[in-house]
Amino acid sequence: METLKITILTQENGEEVIKEYEYTGNLNIPVTTLLEKVNHGNNTKIHYSSSCLQGLCGSCAMLINGWPKLACKTFVNEEVMTKYFHKITIEPLSKFPVIKDLIIDRSKIYENMKEAQQWLDEKAKINPEHIPFEYEVSQCLMCGCCLESCPNYNGEDNFMGVVLPVSSSKITAQETSDEKLKLHKQIHKKHFYNGCVKSLVCQDVCPMEIPTQRAISQMNYKSVWHLFHLFNRQEK
Amino acid sequence: MDTKNVLVIGAGLSGLTCSVKLAENGNNVRLFSPSPSERSQSVMAMGGINAALNNKGQDDSTSQHYTDTINGGQEINNHKAVKKLTDDAPEIIEWLDSIGTSFTRDENGNIDQRYFGGQKKQRTAYAGARTGKQVLTAINTMLRKYEHENLVKRYIGWRFLSLILNDMSECVGAVLINEFTEEIQSFEADCVVIATGGMNKVFGKISGSLQNDAGTTARLLQQEIQLANLEMIQFHPTTIKTPVKSMLITEAARGEGGRLYTIKDGEKWYFMEEWYPELGALMPRDVVSRSIYKVCNQLNLGINGENIVYLDVSFLPEETVKVKLDEVYEVCTQYLNLDPTVDPIPVYPGIHYFMGGILTDDAHKTSIKNLYAIGECSAQYHGANRLGGNSLLGAIHGGYIAAEEINRQTVTSSNNNEIIRKELEKQMEKYAQWKDNQTSEYTSSYTVEEELASIMNNAMGIYRDEETLREAMGQLEQLENEKIYSHESYYEYVLIKSLIHLSKAFLISAINRKESRGAHQRIEYPEKSDKYRKTTVIQEKNNEMIVSFNDTDEKMGW
Ligand SMILES: Cc1cc2nc3c(=O)[nH]c(=O)nc-3n(C[C@H](O)[C@H](O)[C@H](O)COP(=O)(O)OP(=O)(O)OC[C@H]3O[C@@H](n4cnc5c(N)ncnc54)[C@H](O)[C@@H]3O)c2cc1C
Ligand code: SF4
Ligand code: SF4
Ligand code: FES
Repeated sequence: METLKITILTQENGEEVIKEYEYTGNLNIPVTTLLEKVNHGNNTKIHYSSSCLQGLCGSCAMLINGWPKLACKTFVNEEVMTKYFHKITIEPLSKFPVIKDLIIDRSKIYENMKEAQQWLDEKAKINPEHIPFEYEVSQCLMCGCCLESCPNYNGEDNFMGVVLPVSSSKITAQETSDEKLKLHKQIHKKHFYNGCVKSLVCQDVCPMEIPTQRAISQMNYKSVWHLFHLFNRQEK
Repeated sequence: MDTKNVLVIGAGLSGLTCSVKLAENGNNVRLFSPSPSERSQSVMAMGGINAALNNKGQDDSTSQHYTDTINGGQEINNHKAVKKLTDDAPEIIEWLDSIGTSFTRDENGNIDQRYFGGQKKQRTAYAGARTGKQVLTAINTMLRKYEHENLVKRYIGWRFLSLILNDMSECVGAVLINEFTEEIQSFEADCVVIATGGMNKVFGKISGSLQNDAGTTARLLQQEIQLANLEMIQFHPTTIKTPVKSMLITEAARGEGGRLYTIKDGEKWYFMEEWYPELGALMPRDVVSRSIYKVCNQLNLGINGENIVYLDVSFLPEETVKVKLDEVYEVCTQYLNLDPTVDPIPVYPGIHYFMGGILTDDAHKTSIKNLYAIGECSAQYHGANRLGGNSLLGAIHGGYIAAEEINRQTVTSSNNNEIIRKELEKQMEKYAQWKDNQTSEYTSSYTVEEELASIMNNAMGIYRDEETLREAMGQLEQLENEKIYSHESYYEYVLIKSLIHLSKAFLISAINRKESRGAHQRIEYPEKSDKYRKTTVIQEKNNEMIVSFNDTDEKMGW
């Protein structure tokens, strides 16, 4: 049976920690199950977060051989055998503070969503034609894979990353308060439009296959281009 | 009206709804959970949520919804609670719609409704293939507003440790622990609402979320809070064993025409179709589960002698499997390495839902004053068997009702500082004791967990008998004496200890209900008995567990 070399790269008190293990056994398992086997096999506890174990909750997003992925949907065999010569490196997502081992603190995302006032002030306006798109953006797990891979998100400046238009594209379609809609446009400009360079990576890495580019262009249109059009018309 | 200071423990659909409704009335809420709401089991619910909207022109009514729910629960539901539940259901859907849930629409633009087991009307509203997630996104968005207004403060990473009770055994707060930093903190409150979901961990890795560790219910039992109907555990007939955990193959697979068979005399035997010519594999969940059990355990006709029968969808048009049943296709290819358009799926019934839990009355009050319980951790709506689509409804309704009751309650202010300090001290002392007394030479908590799950799965299967249940009691007593090493995690330690205890309560409840009703089937007592048309109530008193059978609609009297 083949042996797999596992490296866990994490931090403790601000310092890098490297833990190494070996595993021999069934390799047709996802990374969460691998971590469980490592824990049980070594009578140890590498802390990681998981809940649904079937790609529905976003708990287990981590870096697997450098890629942000849901560990419960990433199978060891595919990942390791073909590309990485029986080696797997597992790290917490790098753009969030580490709480313990592979568990990260995503509270920044939630703080941002509050700051950006992502809620409805009035009763939702339902347009059956919009429902399929609204359904897709509502699938967002707040897992952070998009933020991890975005060249411009750093968790510090104004730029909130694609989770903002993913949320606001639905909210602005359902909101009826004019005042609030105006505010959402301003927020989009301030916290997204100026930071996004349209590298499209977020759509590629999103485990829910959310059409982030559509969300972005809808919000750009509503907040920015729409105004240009108005402006141009007035000019003429 | 006074504003109240409330702790809500658990942030799935029930806890979220309760928090929103409390904040709407200006109350202060502190909402605790090990992780954000996106991680709760509620997001895993796919099928839908029931309400007699009568959008299908089938003359559906709330009274029919009521009757179906009571029949499904085999009459040991709290009838008054079910009445409110089914009456309020249409209003709940309306609310969910008004806050932006993306329900699937029919060609007229109305909320679409589908058939679900045990109900003769198209009553189950749904949002694509992810009803729970879609509803949760909407409520979570709503809650954000109140978080922003500082009416709701979230505590992420926290788990329940103990209730703070005054001399009159009234709840005045709770002690919680941050699982990772091991910070232990006390929180004073006018009311506490428990919303911690199903008791999954007792049985190992079942279909639901790993986060639902049953620990809250277990420690409430130790604090003498009454639990109910623990023996009522729903088995979903078609689950698959993957290297990861037990996973669900939705009822829709049979709805689309999927057939169940095993091999008899070298040929395919479609046992459900032979036994139930009319409905076949689409009989209610408990009947299908018991039939599969019979095939494997009484007729010894499981595939290759194992506890397996086949669910076959391979003969259906490929399009049906890949599009309408995409979830089934995905789960099988990813986790079983099996293509269901080619090969049959090996299935067996698996634990899926807990009808039992913390006893409440129709106002969601528990046996302790100022303590409420809502959602899957609580017991009132589902009796001996829950209908598909009724638990999302029950979770949201519970949140509504508890919030309403709390609004109505008057607070009596008293100084509890001393009591709170004492309880916190007690918990800190226990922590210190543990800290001084851990060595990896003790039995690993992983081993104990596995043993516990194996004992419980063996004893609390689809059919139970006294001998096996008593044997399991003996095994639990042995396990209880084990010294446990919990890998430097205090919470893990407290948890596993309390789960062994809770497990005994499951067994004792099952031993005492000497009849077969819904999810509880006793080999020695195959019939239903009127004597037991009651709620099984279990309570720990002075280290002894006492069982009684109470009237289903009994009020808590506070
Ligand atoms: C695969 C699957 C499919 C389902 N499909 C349907 C369906 O189609 N229709 C339907 O009606 N029902 C369905 N159900 C059932 C339904 O999902 C649940 O019963 C319902 O979501 C429960 O909601 P809840 O708020 O009670 O708990 P949950 O959503 O489970 O939330 C529990 C909360 O408590 C927290 N918690 C857990 N333990 C602790 C602790 N010790 N301390 C503090 N906090 C804690 C959790 O982190 C979480 O925040 C399904 C269930 C599963 C598993
Ligand atoms: S498209 Fe914009 S938000 Fe998405 S990864 Fe690129 S820069 Fe980031
Ligand atoms: S948009 Fe996709 S990648 Fe980003 S948080 Fe949401 S689910 Fe995760
Ligand atoms: S554990 Fe839920 S997505 Fe991986």
